[in-house]
Amino acid sequence: MFKWSDSHKQLRMMLRKFVDAEVVPQIDAIEHEGAPPYDVLRKFWKTFGIGDMLVGEYKARRKKAEARAAAGGSGSGGGEAADAGSKKKPDPSAALDQGAMRALPIIELSRHSAGMVTALGVSMGLTPNAIIARGTPAQQDAYVPALLTLDKIGAWAITEPGSGSDAFGAMRATAKPDGDDHFILNGNKTFITNGPYADVIIFICKLDRGEPPERRKIVSFILDGEMEGLERSKPLRKMGLHGSPTGEIFASDLRVPISRLVGERVDDEDAGSARDDAKKTFTAERSGVLAMALGMIERAQELSLEYARTRVQFGKPIGERQLIQLKLAKMEVARQNVENMLFKTIESTAHGEPPDIAAASAGKLYAAQAAMEVCLEAVQVFGGNGYMAEYRVEQLARDAKVLQIYGGTDEIQVSQIARSLLWR
Amino acid sequence: MKILVTAKRVPDPEQKVKVQGDAIDLSGMNFVVNPFDEYAVEAALRLKESSGAVDEIVVLTIGSKDVTQQLRSCLAMGADRGILVEGDDDSLDSEQTARIIKAVYERESPDLLLMGKQAVDGDNNQVAQLVAGKLDLPQACFAGQLELEGDASAITVGREIDGGMEFKKVPLPSVVTVDLRIVMPTAVKTAGSKDNQEYAEGPRYASLKGIMQAKKKKIDEISVGDLGVELEQWVKTTSVETPPSRSAGIKVESVDELVDKLQNEAKVL
Repeated sequence: MFKWSDSHKQLRMMLRKFVDAEVVPQIDAIEHEGAPPYDVLRKFWKTFGIGDMLVGEYKARRKKAEARAAAGGSGSGGGEAADAGSKKKPDPSAALDQGAMRALPIIELSRHSAGMVTALGVSMGLTPNAIIARGTPAQQDAYVPALLTLDKIGAWAITEPGSGSDAFGAMRATAKPDGDDHFILNGNKTFITNGPYADVIIFICKLDRGEPPERRKIVSFILDGEMEGLERSKPLRKMGLHGSPTGEIFASDLRVPISRLVGERVDDEDAGSARDDAKKTFTAERSGVLAMALGMIERAQELSLEYARTRVQFGKPIGERQLIQLKLAKMEVARQNVENMLFKTIESTAHGEPPDIAAASAGKLYAAQAAMEVCLEAVQVFGGNGYMAEYRVEQLARDAKVLQIYGGTDEIQVSQIARSLLWR
Repeated sequence: MKILVTAKRVPDPEQKVKVQGDAIDLSGMNFVVNPFDEYAVEAALRLKESSGAVDEIVVLTIGSKDVTQQLRSCLAMGADRGILVEGDDDSLDSEQTARIIKAVYERESPDLLLMGKQAVDGDNNQVAQLVAGKLDLPQACFAGQLELEGDASAITVGREIDGGMEFKKVPLPSVVTVDLRIVMPTAVKTAGSKDNQEYAEGPRYASLKGIMQAKKKKIDEISVGDLGVELEQWVKTTSVETPPSRSAGIKVESVDELVDKLQNEAKVL
């Protein structure tokens, strides 16, 4: 069974050292004073060479896909889908390392700011993946490396005031063809991570060629942060996740050339494909939540244990009280479960069998609920102190709630798991 | 040019030291590379990167197999090869350590032996001087700045003294130990350094790639017997005790009370 190797542990120590030295001193500014997280995230990425590593991996994947396409295969992009079609089995040990290297930075950063992880994941994950999945080579060259290295900050705009879980059905944003090679975009997007600061925005909308809304195709456009016809709100005030600036985006008669349409064509044969890409993105988001939940649970448990050992009431450390012990023990059960789920995901992905949507949903559902429960219980262990920002557990509790909402709500996960059991 | 860097593992200085009976209790302790040795690795890497004259950086450590972990972290920073001399790093005294390093030096014949000025566990600050003496090599200790000659025939060592820096040029091969300031942004220069070349302050973090590559780098394991070194114990630890705990401070109401307390209680006036 997979577990952290010595080099993974070493990497973890190194990451923690960086986070303690560079991120923690800025946490109050980022979490409580609205300072954007991007400079310190860039430093994080650069220090560990993560951006360059991701660009290297991306280029290798793309080269392989292009070679396959040239040989008459069906590789259409450099994405994961093309990778899965590869005959060659991945080298498990290298793939295990790759999985660990993806997860560990998330875990270590989540200990202090789930918001920063969210800003990071959207910028170097969701946004470039949308372009990699369907973009032309020129679009990929122009945006993907800069997003992977965080030189450019990305946002992925799908949610609207009237469309959340029903992302596509209720979507009202539209792109109307204007002549042969232009589109006019209109629509309001909300809860857009990095929206207020993004350099690159993936704007997902319905192609309106006069057909009824339910038959319109989903298309996506690559927008710049500053464009005529595009307005952005200031960061919205949220319950938690303050390390991640979230905003609204308004497109009003925004006229763009076809070169901004991801893929640069509307292929009727290819109907609904941008919809599939978006769904794939949800699956990817789900495995990121496992690593985030683990980091938050570990931190909440660590803080709680230390407090239970040192906080004395009625003449004894509170850790000697069974009601506190029960909370600590339950935290450990949750920690072990989430860690095992993450290990299993890393291992099965490395062997070329990534979790299917039901398994990914089950993992996300469990991990989000576990993180919520553990972090709330940590506040309870700390009592009045836990309610104070200084003791850090209240932030974990506020942040954990979002894991049950974004990337598909708990309720959506439940229905996906159940449907896959009932009608598989 | 070859640089041999020594690295000792030490209990993480941020942990609380536990004393059990007559010894420090090392069970459950987290170990790290001695910070000054980490600075020496960083200095060696900077010499290599800017001069183009350094072919290999070899890191030497002494200890049980567990110390491989600290050795790998030096390799992850960018050093090329490791040497692990198997021994009990906890019981070695400075003389024994110096003998082992001397033997490895003679095997490797590096052009520069670069060491941390001291290990932060024992704070002895003796090994480099002993090694230089045994090998009859020039020594320059507490380097806060280094500048390598273009032909790698000598190195200029800047040392902090009262009111400034003094610079000494030593021919290579020689033994140099580094102080904290060697990891300042412009502390290490070579003929190849660009005018405005600045490093991030402090020893570098190993990159993800570096950590993964370190797994494949070579570590030679040698026993003390292979080196033909005799190890007799020169220093014996007779007892270990924690310093007496200090009594809590007090607040005084007035200057008069302060003077009174200093005179009659502390008896320092």
